[in-house]
Amino acid sequence: MTPVETWRLPPRGVLFAAVVLLVVAEIGGGSMARFKVELARWARGGMLAHPAAHGLVGVRDIDEPALDEALFRFDAGLRLFHMHAEGMALVIIAATTVAATLARSPGPRRALIVLLSVGGVGYPLGYLTWSALIPAYGVERSKAIAESLVWIPFGGATIVALLWLAALTAVRMVRR
Amino acid sequence: MTNRPADGTVSPAVGRPPLAVVLVAVIVIASGELGGAVLSQLRPATTRFATRRIAANPQVHGLTGSAEYDDTIRQRTVFATEAGLSFFHTHAEGTGLVLFFGATLVASLVSSRAWRAALYVLLTAGALFPLGYLVYALAVLQLGRDTGIDLAENWVLTPLGCAAIAGLFGLAVALARRPA
Repeated sequence: MTPVETWRLPPRGVLFAAVVLLVVAEIGGGSMARFKVELARWARGGMLAHPAAHGLVGVRDIDEPALDEALFRFDAGLRLFHMHAEGMALVIIAATTVAATLARSPGPRRALIVLLSVGGVGYPLGYLTWSALIPAYGVERSKAIAESLVWIPFGGATIVALLWLAALTAVRMVRR
Repeated sequence: MTNRPADGTVSPAVGRPPLAVVLVAVIVIASGELGGAVLSQLRPATTRFATRRIAANPQVHGLTGSAEYDDTIRQRTVFATEAGLSFFHTHAEGTGLVLFFGATLVASLVSSRAWRAALYVLLTAGALFPLGYLVYALAVLQLGRDTGIDLAENWVLTPLGCAAIAGLFGLAVALARRPA
């Protein structure tokens, strides 16, 4: 069987970026399991060095639940990085393949591929940023930083590109 | 997708599914992304909306007027709504990709036109499975936790989930029957 319609590959750099993101996600997952104790120790050390950021008052009964909560969020950030990086790498491959195939004009095609790739690679890094900042800035402040610097711009780029891609696919379908 | 001819197309062995299938895959992935953003940015608004809906339907939620008991019910129901939205986000990202890659395999490897059409229908219906979690999130607010979950499970999640399983099973059978 020879299918009439075939996919066009996205640029090799995009595929490379997606594969690297997959590798980093796998390494992240492995590292979380392998270095769980070391990571928790590092984070706890950072939290104790920044007591004000975590509302620590020097009373064990008050401080320990706060530290446990911050450590839980630190771990959650790493887990979410692992999961989102795996998912977004596949989204990049699928969505840029659709864009490369269905967007006929070079300008929109390039814009779509750039938005999908940059947004897709950047977004999961927000979870790493969040985790990395928690010891020094506390849970909420580091979340706000990750949101404004990473999640909103990169996630926004991905959402805009996917909606654009859906509209483009619908237009192509209607024009047939 | 290992062969890269000079014109940049994928090897002719890798076919493209119909545009309607591609459109559903892209919309499901985009909805998943959007759902994640809504969940994160509008969490307080979502909680307020859920609390208002529970207060508007006190009988279906079994509210008694006892503050402590009602708070527990309210928290459990709001949690179920948020869980539904969260499952929608994660499943939509996954099932959109399953449809994209599954349908590409169907387009590339299934020679019978009827089989291909049947598999496209099943895989596309399966990709809509996450909609069941949106129904779940809203139904628990309107009908009460248990009735809402039953409705979403029986009428949306189970049929669409079965379609996904049947589509993937059919693809596996088609691949197994394909001459080497």
